[in-house]
Amino acid sequence: MKDLFGILAVFRTRDGVTNAAARLRRSGYRAFDASTPYAVEGLNRIIDPGPKRFLPLLMFAGAVFGAGLAYWIQYWDEALNYPLNVGGRPYNSWPAFAVSTFEFMLLAAVAAGFFGMLAASGLPRLYHPIFEAKAFERASRDRFVICIEATDPSFDAASIRALFEELGAERIEEVRA
Amino acid sequence: MAMTLTNELPPEAPIVAPDLTLTSLSEEVSNRVLMDRAPLWWWVGFGISFALLTVLIIQLAWLFIVGIGIWGVEIPVAWGFAIAEYVWWIALASGGTIISALFFLTRSPWRSATNRIAESMLLSAAPCAGLMPIMHLGRPGLFYWLFPYSNVMGVWPQMRSPLLWDFVCLLCYILMSIMYYCAGMLPDLATVRDLATTRSKQILYGILSLGWRGSVTQWQNQRVVYAIMSAIMAPMVISVHSVVGLDYAGGLTPGWHDTQFPPYFFFGAVISGTAVIIMLTILVRWGYSLQNVLTGYHLNAMAKVMLVGSLMLGYAYVWEAFGPLYGSDVADKTEFYQRLFGFPASLFWSEKILTVVIPQLLWFPAVRRSQLLLFLISGGIILGMWQERFMFTTASLEHNYMPSYWGQFFPTLWDWAALAGTIGLFLTVFFLFLRFAPIVSLAEVREIIEQEGPK
Repeated sequence: MKDLFGILAVFRTRDGVTNAAARLRRSGYRAFDASTPYAVEGLNRIIDPGPKRFLPLLMFAGAVFGAGLAYWIQYWDEALNYPLNVGGRPYNSWPAFAVSTFEFMLLAAVAAGFFGMLAASGLPRLYHPIFEAKAFERASRDRFVICIEATDPSFDAASIRALFEELGAERIEEVRA
Repeated sequence: MAMTLTNELPPEAPIVAPDLTLTSLSEEVSNRVLMDRAPLWWWVGFGISFALLTVLIIQLAWLFIVGIGIWGVEIPVAWGFAIAEYVWWIALASGGTIISALFFLTRSPWRSATNRIAESMLLSAAPCAGLMPIMHLGRPGLFYWLFPYSNVMGVWPQMRSPLLWDFVCLLCYILMSIMYYCAGMLPDLATVRDLATTRSKQILYGILSLGWRGSVTQWQNQRVVYAIMSAIMAPMVISVHSVVGLDYAGGLTPGWHDTQFPPYFFFGAVISGTAVIIMLTILVRWGYSLQNVLTGYHLNAMAKVMLVGSLMLGYAYVWEAFGPLYGSDVADKTEFYQRLFGFPASLFWSEKILTVVIPQLLWFPAVRRSQLLLFLISGGIILGMWQERFMFTTASLEHNYMPSYWGQFFPTLWDWAALAGTIGLFLTVFFLFLRFAPIVSLAEVREIIEQEGPK
């Protein structure tokens, strides 16, 4: 027999899952997470999703870095490394450098956001114990899933089952992994 | 719901069909990806596309063996089909980003079901656009000299040139579009993974979805980053196509040397990109029987965007004529009269009719509801925009400042092969997207289904 990872409950509606999450929070549970087919509004106020400003700030930092790097490459090339007089224009002709600086700034911001999103979400992670649950596969389709992990200090299988049943869970399953 | 360009929701035209549920949406869209045998129309379409792609491969091989002389370009008309079609393809691609990113920012509800088609289209068109200037280089194997990399020759690209800006723009644009596409795609690939029945498909889509679980943290990060990405992609695509306009505006040729061309080119991108998305949407909803997801509401909304695009383009045409006619430059005037009444006049006038006059039919709701008419008008617009890019590129070079320097461009068979071949490349890539990736953004349509009320 594999170890118990947690207990999972399936709800039919988004209201069902938000109610259940709020109730679990009030009952003192901490180590639980929801899996939903789309971003359910309000769940991120009940289940802590981690810092919200981190990724925007990371993208901003990426933009600053990208702009700086792009401008530096152009400045170094045209003013320091290979100064070429084109029609008497200044070697450091910033208006002409603005376009590539802009594009590279956006590229770096998007790349920072994309890879930052994966890193902050713990992806790629091809295996997760919750994948063992039969009921979990509908969480990417039409069901809303909550799983309380066995690491929760107040974890008690029987009382959690009772609570989930009271909350109107469609299906309750033990996740073993 | 915020006021948007197309915020009219008559009860008889819901965004998605009322019988669509979360269950049926996921299954219908994912089953198109997971079915064991592709339908007959897919094989027919893919076969034709692949045949055209082989034309491109043969054309490329001959071009690389013999050189650019197999095309009709020579002095004075050194920019022929390849550059005109580069602009044409990048305009189609830009239209995909406009539909996808710009209308995400306006929170237009119709964008959610069509954005994946738009993004697949843009990722299919972008390589065609990128290939064109490389073929045109003459020494295509040396295209990497455009990168500012440290080399023993001590030679560096000229950073002040719009042509280099263009290279930077296109490169950044393609990379950003891939990331934008993947960021939106991740949750949908997880749906396909969970619906897959065979082991190989479970493994394939399991790897592609990177283990997405739809947890609260993952959703928040994805939504935040996706919104900022959209806010970045929208100005990005405007800058990309404006820089294409600067390639011309930076040249001293009559007809090109005009500050209006960056927005002029962008207007062309709006109309032609929307047109190709409308054509593809009509074909996809017919081929995959997705009439309940891609409804008349979507086509109606995009038809209006196309109408706005044609009005913007008409406005640009007015100023394109105003410049030479009001100005005192003889060469500008001569060149413009050549377009109006000279050899390219038939292209000039038919193009104006196709892109500005006929699209005015879209003012009538009955036309916007007729898929056949929409398809024909869109096809006409794409054809018209091709004529416009071609004429814009060649007519100016044909009638430069010195009459002794005038010439005439005639495309060769290989020019046409390059055009047909890139259409083949575009369609081949698009058919592969159609087969192997969900063609509707499931996560976003789910939100619309839930907003429209319980079923």
